[in-house]
Amino acid sequence: MSRKTVIEAVSLSKAYSEQVTALHDINISVQEGEFVSLIGRSGSGKSTLLNIIGGLDSPTSGSVLVNGTPVDYTDQKALIALRRGVIGFVFQDFNLLPTLTALENVSYPLLFDYHQKEEREKRASALLEMVGLSGRKDHYPNHMSGGEQQRVAIARALVGRPLIVLADEPTGNLDSKTSDGIFELMREVNREEGTTFLIVTHEREVGRYSDRTIELLDGRVVA
Amino acid sequence: MIQKFLDYLRFSAKQVNRKRMRVLLTALGIAIGIAAVIGTVSLGEGIRYQAVNAIQAQSDLTLIEVSADVRDGTVQYITAAKTAQIASISDVTSSAPVLRDAWASERQTYLGVMGVGAEEIAGVIDPEYMTGRAFAASSREVVLGHDLAEKLRRYEGMRLDEPFRVVVRQYDETGMPEDQRLDLIPVGVLQERGDQFDNLMLTDMSLVRDIRDAGGISDSVLVRVNSPAAVGGVVSEVLALGLAANGAFEEIESVNRLMDLVVLMLAFFAGVSLIVGALMIVNTMITSIYERIGEIGITMAVGASPADVVSLILFECLYIGLIGGIIGDLLGIAFSGLINLVGKPFVIAQLGEAFAGFESADITIITPGMLVMGILIAVVLSLLSGIYPALKASRLNPVDAIASAR
Repeated sequence: MSRKTVIEAVSLSKAYSEQVTALHDINISVQEGEFVSLIGRSGSGKSTLLNIIGGLDSPTSGSVLVNGTPVDYTDQKALIALRRGVIGFVFQDFNLLPTLTALENVSYPLLFDYHQKEEREKRASALLEMVGLSGRKDHYPNHMSGGEQQRVAIARALVGRPLIVLADEPTGNLDSKTSDGIFELMREVNREEGTTFLIVTHEREVGRYSDRTIELLDGRVVA
Repeated sequence: MIQKFLDYLRFSAKQVNRKRMRVLLTALGIAIGIAAVIGTVSLGEGIRYQAVNAIQAQSDLTLIEVSADVRDGTVQYITAAKTAQIASISDVTSSAPVLRDAWASERQTYLGVMGVGAEEIAGVIDPEYMTGRAFAASSREVVLGHDLAEKLRRYEGMRLDEPFRVVVRQYDETGMPEDQRLDLIPVGVLQERGDQFDNLMLTDMSLVRDIRDAGGISDSVLVRVNSPAAVGGVVSEVLALGLAANGAFEEIESVNRLMDLVVLMLAFFAGVSLIVGALMIVNTMITSIYERIGEIGITMAVGASPADVVSLILFECLYIGLIGGIIGDLLGIAFSGLINLVGKPFVIAQLGEAFAGFESADITIITPGMLVMGILIAVVLSLLSGIYPALKASRLNPVDAIASAR
């Protein structure tokens, strides 16, 4: 089965200084609809790789192709378009905005993309329902558990109908039972919507949810 | 686009609401500056109002004297044609061309003479006679102003309806003085008016014209305007004819010019406190951005452009400005009331009798325009103060911003 390659990193390197190099000549590719985990110890460069793929950080050398198009890290507009329509982010600390309700948090990205309020709320409601939080639309983040907050964050990542979701240690602050629930949710979205997932984690056991695992060690791909 | 604007407004309102106390204190910084400006400006405007009223009460504002002027090196004489043009300006109810001369009594008392048409002068100055009557046309009859009549009666024995000899000095071709004596008949004395007519001798224009050999030209035209409000318009039309205009309105103009300057200076010094308020906003917004650095990073990560971030922060400043402006207006009204209450007895004591009219009136005036300006200044200042923090926020690197929030 030949599927489209949605993420391709070609001899990607990132150095912060001559002594500190985060990534060495990384070559990876992810196919459309894949659920891939990126594992490695703390400091192995996995978050840096994720940020570069998502256009939040730029590489020192090498290139990234997202959905077949090279990412131009000097073109702010293109990077913004990438974040708006192609890539959704999930962070370790959930990073919901405390002043907004669950529904508003989910619809927040659409605010910047000229969507009508009704349309935004309809889409956000549907996603909250999908992540099992339809009853908590009007709750604020500080009234929700960590697992619930991360579900809201996943819904927010999906609101722009992204091709790819990049998740950086999405269960890092959750207990193992809640973590399982989050992974199951992401896997379900992956199966049902066909969204590609690239998940950074330091837990090897996540592998059982994944199609494939990429391991980094000291900025190099080892497996 | 308007939808997006409203959404940003709503979103920023939530941010402002989260830090109610801080926003209120920051807004208060601006508000105090606005209140100081409104208080001082209201005092200046109040004094201007009283001064203009005092002038209006004491002088004949709607009387203008139009005179010849030099434009581009040529003298614009008042010809019959110009007189007709002046008379046809709208809001001019009546007008009277005038010739002036200077004569003397036999005892060398200076006599300012105004030659004017008998009927025309009645339309312009509405003369009221203390004694006697108006002069007849084409005669040697004269009407005396109140003060001049008093002087001539007391020192020169002038009596109504008895010939009074005056000397008209002219010069011949060699420059030698050549005196001509005229017997005039005083027929009336005007009531005291408090203007130039108190010291003038009025007579028929034809008499002065003959003596001066003035031909068809007059020295000036007295103009009566139908209301004080229309004076400005008439004056500018007169200036457009290439002529000059004088009158009591000039006093008001100079009071206005002076008060403009005074109000500006007062507002400037009071406005210095606005700089402090603006710095408070800069400080608050920078603090607020450091506290929310992670949120800003997330906002950018989910697709906000730097311009979006700038807008969101400036909208917060807009709220601070609006709140500051409204509180400032309210404090300004209170401040102005306080000046009125405490300052009035002091001002009256300082200015003395002439300003006793202040007693019943307010020495401060607040206009709707002032309040609108107060809010506008607060909003503009807040937005300006927000630019630096907003740009700073928009230039954050999302990765660093999210990481530093951990």
